Amino acid sequence: MALAKRKSGLALSRDNRWRLRKFVADYGVYIALAILLLVAAVLTPKLFAVDTIAVVMRQAAQLGIVAIGQTLVLLVAGLDLSVGGIFIMTSVVVAEVGNGRNEMIAPAILTALALGALVGLGNGLLVTKRRVPPFVATLGMLVLVKGATQAYTRGVPGGFVPEALGIVNQSWFVLSVPLALWLGLNAIFIFVLRGTSYGRRVYAVGSNIEAARLSGIPVDAIRISVYVLGSLFAVVSGVVLTGYVLYVDRFIGSGLDLDSIAAAVVGGTAFIGGRGGLLGTIAGVLIIQILSTMVVLLGLDVEVQFIIKGLVILGAVTLYSVAATEA
Amino acid sequence: MKKLFTLLLAISLALVVGAVSLAQDDDMSGMSFDFTEEQIAASPYLQSVLSRLDQSYDTSEFAKDGPYRIAFAAQGTSNAWSALMDAHAYWYVDHLGEDVVSELLYGDAQASADVQVPQVEDLLAQEPDALILVPMGAAALSAPVERAMMQGVPVVLCASAVETDNFVTEVGTNLWVVGASLAQYVVDQLDGEGNIVIMTGIPGVTTSDIMEEGADAVFAANPGINVLDKQPGFWSPADAKGIMETWLVQYGDDIDGIWSGGAQMSQGIISAYLDAGLNIPPIGGGEWQNGFLRLALEHDIEYLAWQYPNAMITMCIDAALQILAGEPVPRFIDFSGVIPNSEPFTDVEGADYFREDWSDDVHGPITMPDEKLEELGFKVMDDSG
Repeated sequence: MALAKRKSGLALSRDNRWRLRKFVADYGVYIALAILLLVAAVLTPKLFAVDTIAVVMRQAAQLGIVAIGQTLVLLVAGLDLSVGGIFIMTSVVVAEVGNGRNEMIAPAILTALALGALVGLGNGLLVTKRRVPPFVATLGMLVLVKGATQAYTRGVPGGFVPEALGIVNQSWFVLSVPLALWLGLNAIFIFVLRGTSYGRRVYAVGSNIEAARLSGIPVDAIRISVYVLGSLFAVVSGVVLTGYVLYVDRFIGSGLDLDSIAAAVVGGTAFIGGRGGLLGTIAGVLIIQILSTMVVLLGLDVEVQFIIKGLVILGAVTLYSVAATEA
Repeated sequence: MKKLFTLLLAISLALVVGAVSLAQDDDMSGMSFDFTEEQIAASPYLQSVLSRLDQSYDTSEFAKDGPYRIAFAAQGTSNAWSALMDAHAYWYVDHLGEDVVSELLYGDAQASADVQVPQVEDLLAQEPDALILVPMGAAALSAPVERAMMQGVPVVLCASAVETDNFVTEVGTNLWVVGASLAQYVVDQLDGEGNIVIMTGIPGVTTSDIMEEGADAVFAANPGINVLDKQPGFWSPADAKGIMETWLVQYGDDIDGIWSGGAQMSQGIISAYLDAGLNIPPIGGGEWQNGFLRLALEHDIEYLAWQYPNAMITMCIDAALQILAGEPVPRFIDFSGVIPNSEPFTDVEGADYFREDWSDDVHGPITMPDEKLEELGFKVMDDSG
């Protein structure tokens, strides 16, 4: 009797542990965001001023847009390091094609999107047809795109960013153009991932590629399409960044490439694919951006920001992996 | 006898004090600055530069007949400034003719010390007559510089320094004075009282750190100046704008002055102010960078600009040729006043420097003919723009 009771207690406890871990895996990032906001309320109440929220959200949107693409790529167990090269390429193309003429903004953006799609296609083909590991394929593409941009500009990007692109700096209270874009793209792709067969196929490919193949899903096409989408999001982010500074900067978006991976991972998207989603990534982006802003508001050294960011990423990955293993 | 001794002692003391005050007054970089003993004692960089001011190097051991093969370990085509430095180098070597420089051996460091260290070794393996080095890291490049000198290859440091003193000469400017002078400009504009923010370049990069050191010294000496915050803007307009936006929501109109370690960051700073619709306070920290000048002119910004002309490479090549001719060379060569229009300037003179036909990324002064600039593919804006 006592033994049976003990066994039942153990089962209950194991069941509770399982539920707790599942809860952490599903909602950990939102809890972390809530805790961070509580800490911010104590340490940096200025963070909650309307002006500050507007700045945080605008800067978060720059990272958030590229993080959408990165999340899609991670969902099929991929990784895209080439986005850093795409930011720079986009900035150069916008200035070269636009050359200060507002009427050339559309052709400039279309050119950048076409080139971005080409880069994404290259990534996808390397990963699917040549079976190059995503890390190596996209790293190689990063070097190639940066090198090609450099060879073309010879270090001095010509042309001028059309002034009308400064529209990305417009805002209505908290709602800025980049934020509206970020929210809109999120809404579309949350629907795509949850409500369409394409979205279900993305998860299926990421969860078990062989099972997906056997069930008739065009695995390669899905993976290639996701890499193309990832590059297109990087182009959109590059356009926003270029309009943000209205200047051709050869180091534009530096750091956003790795931050986009960090945001997705902190948000619960697994490196092994098939698990995660855009809502988590939104929370991940906000955590990273709020941390960056808090460091400036507190007047801390930038090194502190890097250390905290590193700890948050390591903490999140550890938490998710423990939860995933035991759940 | 005692009186004579006292008189001699007084004369000696006067001479020593005179010599010390001469050493402490530096008007290099076109920026005049009086150092205190404490400031010199606290800065190994200042000690090194000031001690080399009056020294010259006996180069007779390097004398040889031309034409010469000169190695140029460059920053590389990593940004507009360095790309234009390379263009100046090739143009100047062409201009001198093959009977003077038969070959320019080039190394592109991609702005990385890790890339540059082995690259210098590769250049030295080709047995050049002299090495011109734009060091990407003071500590990392010290050993390669030492090795070059041991190998009998005279080293000219161009635009930055290394930690060792074992090189022939350095062409550049006193970066500590630059940082200090930009800070002094902010202090003067505020009549010694006010709140300021400081935006530095990249932590760990010698140029940025030394400028910051000079600025800190000046602000510390002015108790009426309250430094609200200091953050690195990584010489990036986007990073600078992001930080400035946060400062603006935090401090708003309370910011009375700004110290900025580079024109690209100043562009980001101005852009943040324009978006916020606030008045832009005086900025100590512009450069002759066309994009910065355009913004400053359009929005009537008060600023002091310093200069770091990429055209200084022509002086580095001249120094190498002087060494190979066996002529003594000064151990520190300041470009200011030698390269035309390389002095610091304020918003009052800014319009004279701005070039409508240059793209935003071009850093002046350009000593090559404008046609050369176009011919080399460094775009000049077409009329349709």
